[in-house]
Amino acid sequence: MNTLLDKARTLPGRIGLTVLAVIAAFVVGGGSSAFLAQQWALWIIFGQLALSLTFVWGYGGIFSFGQAALFGIGAYAYGISSINLSPITGETYSSLLVAGAVAGLFALLLGYFIFYGNVGELYVGIITLAVTLVLLTFMSSTGSPEYHVGDALLGGYNGMSGIPALGSVSAPLNAGFQLVFVVALAAVIVLLLDQLLRRPFGRSLMAVRDNELRSQLLGYDVRRTRLTAFVIGGVVAGLAGGEFAGWGQFANPAVFSLQQAALVIIWALVGGRRSLFGAFLGAIVIQEIQTVMGGTGGGLTPIVLGAIMILVVLVAPEGLMAAVFAGLRRLGLRVGRRPITSNAAVADLSEHRAKDRGQLVAEDVVKSFGGVHAVRGVSATFPPHSVTSLLGPNGAGKSSFFNLLVGRYPVTSGTISLDGRDITHLKPHQRAQLGLGIKTQVPSVYNEMSMRENVWLAAYAKKRSIAEADRVTDSVLQDFGIAERQETLVGDLAHGQRQWLEIAMVVAGHPEVVLLDEPTAGMTREETSRTVRLVHDLAVGATVVVVEHDMDFVRQLDSDVVMLHQGAVFRRGSIQELRQDEQVLDIYLGRAVTDAPAT
Amino acid sequence: MDPSHLTAVALSVVNSIALLIIVSVGLAVIFGMMGLINLAHGEFLMLGAYMTVTFYRLGVGFWIAAILGALSVGLFGVLIERCLIRFLYGRLAAMMLATWGLSLIMIQVVTIIFGTSTHSIPTPLGSFKLGQYSFSQFSIVVDIAALAMLGLVYVVFTKTRYGVMARAATLDPTMAGAIGIDVRRLNMLTFGFGAILSGFGGALLAALAGVVPTFGQQYVGAAFMVVITGGAAVLTGTASASVLLGGVQGIVSNATTAFFGSISLLLVAIVLLRFMPTGISGKWGRRF
Repeated sequence: MNTLLDKARTLPGRIGLTVLAVIAAFVVGGGSSAFLAQQWALWIIFGQLALSLTFVWGYGGIFSFGQAALFGIGAYAYGISSINLSPITGETYSSLLVAGAVAGLFALLLGYFIFYGNVGELYVGIITLAVTLVLLTFMSSTGSPEYHVGDALLGGYNGMSGIPALGSVSAPLNAGFQLVFVVALAAVIVLLLDQLLRRPFGRSLMAVRDNELRSQLLGYDVRRTRLTAFVIGGVVAGLAGGEFAGWGQFANPAVFSLQQAALVIIWALVGGRRSLFGAFLGAIVIQEIQTVMGGTGGGLTPIVLGAIMILVVLVAPEGLMAAVFAGLRRLGLRVGRRPITSNAAVADLSEHRAKDRGQLVAEDVVKSFGGVHAVRGVSATFPPHSVTSLLGPNGAGKSSFFNLLVGRYPVTSGTISLDGRDITHLKPHQRAQLGLGIKTQVPSVYNEMSMRENVWLAAYAKKRSIAEADRVTDSVLQDFGIAERQETLVGDLAHGQRQWLEIAMVVAGHPEVVLLDEPTAGMTREETSRTVRLVHDLAVGATVVVVEHDMDFVRQLDSDVVMLHQGAVFRRGSIQELRQDEQVLDIYLGRAVTDAPAT
Repeated sequence: MDPSHLTAVALSVVNSIALLIIVSVGLAVIFGMMGLINLAHGEFLMLGAYMTVTFYRLGVGFWIAAILGALSVGLFGVLIERCLIRFLYGRLAAMMLATWGLSLIMIQVVTIIFGTSTHSIPTPLGSFKLGQYSFSQFSIVVDIAALAMLGLVYVVFTKTRYGVMARAATLDPTMAGAIGIDVRRLNMLTFGFGAILSGFGGALLAALAGVVPTFGQQYVGAAFMVVITGGAAVLTGTASASVLLGGVQGIVSNATTAFFGSISLLLVAIVLLRFMPTGISGKWGRRF
């Protein structure tokens, strides 16, 4: 059983499954009644719509309630295009492509505003839902004959009729071949999406879902990743919508209704948000229930659907397929995970380190939050191949200054430059691509991924080559002594281990400047001294800036110290000098500072 | 443009602002105080309308019926919070999905009980004329009611013990719990209060439009846009978003048709969120 599942996971195995699905459709399509073939075709089309949601929501973390709207746009686009074009071209397949393209374009436009505005997760759901409702109103009020595109009447509430079926105009596909076509398209889409999810894009998409901040800090463009996924989902939904219009030879505004939008969610919920095949299973199960209920108690169907929605959310939030997988896993079968394959030779990390760049300069940087001046005019130069500690009591402005360097807050005034290049207004991911490696105060890692995947994502963010990233990952895992535990899920690690992993990720990005925010919090004494050695090691090839308030760690580091107090640089010097400075001690012991700092 | 025309336009713009307030303030209370977007909000409006129609037919008069209708929706809200919402705190997406499921069920149950035919009650009061334009006096009442609802929210959240504790719980639930505030009970009351406001909004709408089971869907899209454009501040956010979106909608509707009015509302909201992703009140800091 195990080997069978493993075989199905390889690329030829997947192509085999795809072909098998099409052959099965042939048999069903040829052997059963036209009615059944019609019904199955509809269910597969719905499954493909559910698949688009599984992809954007389950894998991309995009809470889209608008897949039904994109489906509807695809349906209308197919209708308009086929009514106008099929007399010329003699077929309607091209109109199906139009459907996918129009829906994708709509997703691009809508997605631009949603993702480039950094709208919150829940807002995405509400905006997409509101757009769906507006489309419902819009299409319902196009009843008069003046609303037409070419020869296609939009038809208002009654919908658009007379849409040509799929196939050539002279001989449209019969029910059997229509089923084969629908299954083949769905199977190819599943195959492509599955391959995409194994590619670096898919990994970075899942990474964004898991931890948006970490993805930014590694240098991934979170907004573009989400937008791309949303557009792909739009195309998949639009193609399904086109098929739907060809299937029923009509399109009406009901595709934009709340009930239809809810159905898509229910299919995906029942099938499981993390399973591409589950989407089809969910659609088929729910449609079967609807068919059966339609015979006996049609009026109760929405109640049952609502109850299913509530029950799944309460009882099996990851969906039915996930529950089934969990059951199988308990029986000892390996299912559900997509391993990245790699077995490159181990390389020496130091070769990647020697660099002569990495001069980080802050000039007169100011940050105010309303009336609070957290950072008031800090100027500091962090030269290459050096370690600098940013020291200061709580509230001194260390973290604010750090976040300004990282790019998480915009500066109020002043400039920040890296190797002479002004980076003051760059986003965090752009700074990361220029060579800024950042470790946050609370470890920010991908909890749902293995240690190896975490490090790999960091390496790939910089290298943009699978082979290179594999090589760097192997060597970093070795250097950090986590190679044997590399498949451990990060969510299961202790706090100190996650700190260590995050530092490993920073190193894997081969940064020119390393920013570490309280790296030793939660570490054991041994881990701390290991970190001290590591920081010195890093400084051979990079500029290191460490934010700390643990005096002990700073003394062990024995580096240059910039001390902040009340948002400004108070002293700069070695730790010895500072330890002999009465005023520094005053600040640290909370004694009142009597005279103004000497300049 | 003669003055009566200008006044008429101004009145209808004010009216569309007031309508946005009455359909969204209940949603805004629940969202602002609990962080929960109630996808069954449209059905709360619908239920308020049906209950008002029911009480009205028992012969109690419109205002008594409206208040009874609102209170019964509040009771229903408390029930829903106890039986469903409280299992889902901390899981915002799950709460949205669960309330969506609830909305499907509510529409169907109401359909089974009341049927699909339109129920309506005559619009109270008469009408008055401004030049050649005719206005219902009830529309002025709706404007006043919108202000009164905002006033009620203000009084409840600033002048009552419950309101102060509820705001404390919103700002820091752990701290609120630590100083002895029963956060769970507060959530129940807040959800109930939001439901009362939604119910009352629905009651007013019942006098303006025919009541059908899908009644709520006509208003709920606009209510969502108001609440997310307004941001988390219940009173100031809702008021400013209603004025902005309602104003644009009213002006565009007057210049073209109601249809383009709704589209303009959506477009303004989406473009605004591109630049203010946490809503108009997102940067104000004070969540009220």
